[in-house]
Amino acid sequence: MNTAVNFNQSAANSKVLVRGLDFYYGATRALKDVSLSLYDGEVTAFIGPSGCGKSTLLRVLNRMYDLYPGQRAEGEVLLDGENILAPDLDLNLLRSRVGMVFQKPTPFPMTIYENIAFGVRLYEKLSKSEMDQRVESALRRAALWTEVKDKLKASGLSLSGGQQQRLCIARTVAIKPEVILLDEPASALDPISTAKIEELIDELSGDYTIAIVTHNMQQAARVSRYTAFMYLGEMVEFDETDRIFTSPRDKRAQDYVTGRFG
Amino acid sequence: MADQHTVRAYDKDLDLLERRIAEMGGLAEKMVIDAVDALSSGDTVLAHQVVETDPRLDLLQREIEEQAILTIARRQPVAIDLREIIGAIRVAGDLERVGDLAKNIAKRSLKIGVETRAPRAIVGIKHMNDFATELLKDVLDAFAQRDVERARDVWERDAELDALEDSVFRDLLTHMMEDPRNITFCAHLLFCSKNIERIGDHATNIAETVFYLVTGSNLPTDRPHGRQETDIETDTRGEFR
Amino acid sequence: MAAGTISPFYPARRLRNKIWMSLSVVAAAIGLIGLFMIIVVLFWQGFSGLSPAVFTQMTPPPGSSGGLLNAIVGSLILTVVGVLVGAPLGLLAGTYLAEYGRHTRLASVVRFINDILLSAPSIVIGLFIYEVVVVPMGHFSAIAGCLALAVLVVPVVLRTTEDMLNLVPNTLREAGAALGMPRSLVIRRISYRAAKAGLVTGVLLAVARISGETAPLLFTALNNQFWSTSLTQPISSLPVVIFQFALSPYKEWQQLAWTGALIITLAVLALSIFARALAARGAHQ
Repeated sequence: MNTAVNFNQSAANSKVLVRGLDFYYGATRALKDVSLSLYDGEVTAFIGPSGCGKSTLLRVLNRMYDLYPGQRAEGEVLLDGENILAPDLDLNLLRSRVGMVFQKPTPFPMTIYENIAFGVRLYEKLSKSEMDQRVESALRRAALWTEVKDKLKASGLSLSGGQQQRLCIARTVAIKPEVILLDEPASALDPISTAKIEELIDELSGDYTIAIVTHNMQQAARVSRYTAFMYLGEMVEFDETDRIFTSPRDKRAQDYVTGRFG
Repeated sequence: MADQHTVRAYDKDLDLLERRIAEMGGLAEKMVIDAVDALSSGDTVLAHQVVETDPRLDLLQREIEEQAILTIARRQPVAIDLREIIGAIRVAGDLERVGDLAKNIAKRSLKIGVETRAPRAIVGIKHMNDFATELLKDVLDAFAQRDVERARDVWERDAELDALEDSVFRDLLTHMMEDPRNITFCAHLLFCSKNIERIGDHATNIAETVFYLVTGSNLPTDRPHGRQETDIETDTRGEFR
Repeated sequence: MAAGTISPFYPARRLRNKIWMSLSVVAAAIGLIGLFMIIVVLFWQGFSGLSPAVFTQMTPPPGSSGGLLNAIVGSLILTVVGVLVGAPLGLLAGTYLAEYGRHTRLASVVRFINDILLSAPSIVIGLFIYEVVVVPMGHFSAIAGCLALAVLVVPVVLRTTEDMLNLVPNTLREAGAALGMPRSLVIRRISYRAAKAGLVTGVLLAVARISGETAPLLFTALNNQFWSTSLTQPISSLPVVIFQFALSPYKEWQQLAWTGALIITLAVLALSIFARALAARGAHQ
């Protein structure tokens, strides 16, 4: 059992509760008995050296690994108390509640408007004006509206990298998820775009529960309220971010955040 | 997982801070000892020396602050590195104040001149100063060794210094009441004893910094005091400043 | 090594470089010259026969003049129906290989067989259709020709479909899945759309391939002197007409053969250029 895991909020506040999670790529055990909480409306960062399992953990939370044979998860992951690892779960519905933004911006090969409307149409039947409104509010939420409002019919691929990534965030937000997973969302972007994304995360938190994987520790310190440090597939320390970056309890965590690793 | 940073220059930055603090500490200790020696023996040359050393201490403190700021800008320190840098800034500030207090004692000894009216009073001061010097030395060792226990010990022993200051105070009052010609002299000594007591307080500040640096948490705000009730006006915490 | 001095190996390297470059240029030139000569000869021989009559009159009996109308129309029908039958098959099969069954046993087997079919002699396919369609029907027919051409279309389309779909980055599919899109929707709306240019190119290449095929048509669609658009009757086609007319001793027929060859070549050339332009536009996006 992890001694440096600090659940200082009650489990009742957990939007997502992970208990004893094991994950296997074929025969290799990539996650070992991982437990943590994503608290409602808070931003939680997953940090750790490469290969520690942070991306793997993130992808369990929306069962993305289901797309690939030979990958399986055991244990419990409770979303509002319901175990999402259950085999008979409606995956599409799960993913409408738990959205994901990837490292490389992936706009669909459609117009900007369609990129967003497309996802919405999967779940709701909206009139043209309602859809227009939904697209606009999603783009506003992603701080992209003023930049693209005059070219909604342009291809999503015609935007800059930072804009494309915000488009992907708008697309995710448009279907009104409860949890948003971000897999190194800014690592392919320049510093200004990165700052805009961080500001966006700040604005979105409160309304959404957010988990972000990042290899940039300063980013984790800036955007998250809780941080989970992982190493070799284990959850080594999970605590408030302020604590981890001023006086972490585990030596490995301390070595990692201060740059003494390797 | 080494104890050294992957980027070695970072370790060099921190080592530089460490060395400067050690230098400041040595200087401050010497100033404190010399100041009271000058006071008790009337050695004006020594007193001048102490006064002239103070600018060096001020310079060192500024250098330490500058180095700390540069390290923060360059390295974005977190966790223990951050606490070390903050610790260095705090300790440098305390040591600079200690230097100022020693300088003031030396200046007063110049004002007193060669008069030695109440040798017994001087003995009390000297005793206080020996104690304070020991506190300072111990806490600087604790800082260098990152020794929490030693720091806590200094923090607690300061109470004895406070008690000593009380008794010297009463002594000096008695002297003044005995012979009005002693008043000027004893008044100067009152200030000197106050300064020495404050040197002790700065030593406890350094002890608190050591504790924070190593553990990440703070010592309790109320440390043990050696003061007894006097009929002088005090504030609600029983201290007068 | 001081800056500005030349290493003793430099002259030898330069010579080697020159030799290899010259060889490459010569090889390219040979290829280009060959192609150029073919086109020149075709134009030389066939251009003089190009007249409105070619496009308005039927193939003539020996010794008289006429046109290639029924052959042109016949080729069009055979090609279009062949593609209509073969391309969807190739497309869906390629989709299976790239999207659903990428690492399955079935996929490997299909891929292997497809590679064989891709380079199978077209005459063999013609004979196969003969056995399977012409004999039971009792006579040659256009539909048999269409089926033979379809069998030629499928491997080409399958291969390009699979390759183009494989080029679509997986993160795009994951992005679709992350929105809760069911697999088929991800494929239809995202993969296909992303690979659109490549998929169309594949079909156009298949069309270019079959528009010049002669051998399979000999056993299936045969030929028809007269105007016919019926699928159950033999139908005329340019390649077969060229074959027949070129071997004959009649001057008019030989001239029509050259003209027909020119028409086919120009058509295939135009298609290839169009396919290439489309691919370039797709890549540019």
